[in-house]
Amino acid sequence: MRNVVLSALLALSFSTSLSHAQSVWTGGDDLPTNPLACDATPATAAAKPYDGGQPTNAPDRKGKTIKVVDVPKLVGIGYFNATSKGIADAAKEMGTMDAKTDGPSKANIDDQVTLIDNYITSGVDGILFAANDPVAIAPVLKKALGAGINVVGYDANSSPDARQWFVNQAEFNGIAKAMVDSMATEIGDEGAFAIVTSTFTTPNQARWIAEMQAYQAKCHPKMKWLETVEAQEDNILSFNQSNTLINKYGDELKGIFGMTSVATPAAADAVTQAKKCGSVAVVGLATPNAMKPYVGAGCVKSVVLWNPVDLGYAAAFVLRAVADGSLAPGATSVKAGKLGDLSVINGSEILLGAPTVFNKDNINNFDF
Amino acid sequence: MNLRSLIRHETLLALLLVIVLIVLSFQSDRFFTVDNLLNQGRLMTEIGLIAIAMTFVIATGGIDLSVGSILGLTAILTGVFWQNVGLPLPVAATAAIAAGTFAGFVNGVIITRFRVPPLIATLATLALYRGLAEGISQARSVRGYPEWFYVLGQKDVLGVPTQLWILLLAAVVASIILAYTTWGRTVYAVGSNEVASRFSGLSVEKTKLALYTASGFAAAVAAVIFVSRVSTTRSDMGTGIELDAITAVVLGGTSIFGGRGTIIGTIIGLCLIQALKNGLSLAGIKGDGTIMLIGAVLILAILASNLFERSGTRT
Repeated sequence: MRNVVLSALLALSFSTSLSHAQSVWTGGDDLPTNPLACDATPATAAAKPYDGGQPTNAPDRKGKTIKVVDVPKLVGIGYFNATSKGIADAAKEMGTMDAKTDGPSKANIDDQVTLIDNYITSGVDGILFAANDPVAIAPVLKKALGAGINVVGYDANSSPDARQWFVNQAEFNGIAKAMVDSMATEIGDEGAFAIVTSTFTTPNQARWIAEMQAYQAKCHPKMKWLETVEAQEDNILSFNQSNTLINKYGDELKGIFGMTSVATPAAADAVTQAKKCGSVAVVGLATPNAMKPYVGAGCVKSVVLWNPVDLGYAAAFVLRAVADGSLAPGATSVKAGKLGDLSVINGSEILLGAPTVFNKDNINNFDF
Repeated sequence: MNLRSLIRHETLLALLLVIVLIVLSFQSDRFFTVDNLLNQGRLMTEIGLIAIAMTFVIATGGIDLSVGSILGLTAILTGVFWQNVGLPLPVAATAAIAAGTFAGFVNGVIITRFRVPPLIATLATLALYRGLAEGISQARSVRGYPEWFYVLGQKDVLGVPTQLWILLLAAVVASIILAYTTWGRTVYAVGSNEVASRFSGLSVEKTKLALYTASGFAAAVAAVIFVSRVSTTRSDMGTGIELDAITAVVLGGTSIFGGRGTIIGTIIGLCLIQALKNGLSLAGIKGDGTIMLIGAVLILAILASNLFERSGTRT
């Protein structure tokens, strides 16, 4: 009797997670999409007034050395090691920024909020963040603004009024186009694909997927969208999920999108171990170091990503400019050291530039 | 009241807490301020509520691993009842708490009626309730609650964070129940020797059922507070919170084998962990160093208390 109940319970619990995974839900968010043209026509950006927040009674920090804390989504993964390296590089170059990185060990909203709260108490001048949840992080960021701290986001945004500026690594529809076009080139216009993402609520991934869906419907309408699965930003889980996809769909599956820098190498690894190199394509966002073996072996043709070192570097310069008062609402561009002038988009965002595509020819030139 | 009875786990722990507070306040002048301490109280309320109920559960020799998932499920239901079903927010929150309490009741039924060991039963419902939360939410967050709702999680009442009042009330009530009522004695009796309790005519099953239900209730209340504090619901809320709560309870001197434990011990344990997390962070130590230190403190505190513990001195 005892065993029956137990197995019933376990079966029930697994079935709920399975039925969840099988739903038609594609992982996007509910916001409107803006797919780019199928050819290379650039989009026209609509002008939008500044919609960020402002710190109250911030002291004059112009030219003074400022204490800055960088709180990424989590620490200990290649991607955020690269952004914090960029921040450290920028701080060294400026000489007037005392920056350190501290983040939760898991991409957990509560840990991140608590951490930021502690740094507000400890009295920093500036906070750089990459949000695990755009809304959950907002109250604590508003508290920071209320305490006169300069707040700048990078990588993953919060609600606009909870921070001053956000450094956007690439526009969502641009990434979506690059990803879907690469996949279509590799598996053809009628291939079926699946997606391995972090969680359905992670803002960037949800946005990209929504844009990918819109772009695919517009420009590659015959491609088949099999399933979107969650794998946190967890190596083993990403591998297992990719493996499950390969086994579940068999020959029907022609391609896997990796939506995180963890999922893409894990998917490539799963494809390699299943000896499906060449029959299942992997396209995704990832850091070059993690992808070198798969690109070298020819299992993965191209990897899309902006340069995260540059992203961190730009974020640090934006924070410096905000603290100095040289980047104020209404500005149209900002100087970011060696990156030159970066332009302001969407009211209170700063665009890093076009994404980089890494392939066999250039991947060895990058080290992050 | 002799010297022997003074040297007990709670006393040692309180002493350790005082030392930690003093050391940490020398490390950072921003640590020992009223604002910071009250803010820390705000941050530890959710774990505190769960830990108080967990003290009872562990004192009977049981455990409840599903509290984090109940928290997630209740949070999601609060949002769904309010936004999708269209109930007024107070009704939605109450209904969600009722559902969370029912989830705890189900744990109790599985454990008492079908005699599944608590560890396994709640491990199964840990997966079950989290799966339900994710399935119901379809990974969508519910946001944009009315301003008054944030009073619970983000504002103060009489200068003290609102939820801290709830935690204080819960701690006082729970202390009285556990220490001064027959029912509290029953909890210890069940934890010390379940068979003997049953033969003594104590209602072992009813007690356990009530405890797991209460544990679900505590997690559900914590969920609503959590939603109010971070102003959104997500299905992954409360992941891993069961371990934080169990750490506080065990550090507080509750025996994992049952029969021993106090609410004051749990509260001191909770404060000690929170003080370490916050103080070390303010002193400039990064997150990974902090959790290592907490692990070390946990082992040292248990070792120290075992050193002084002699059978027969349990008072």
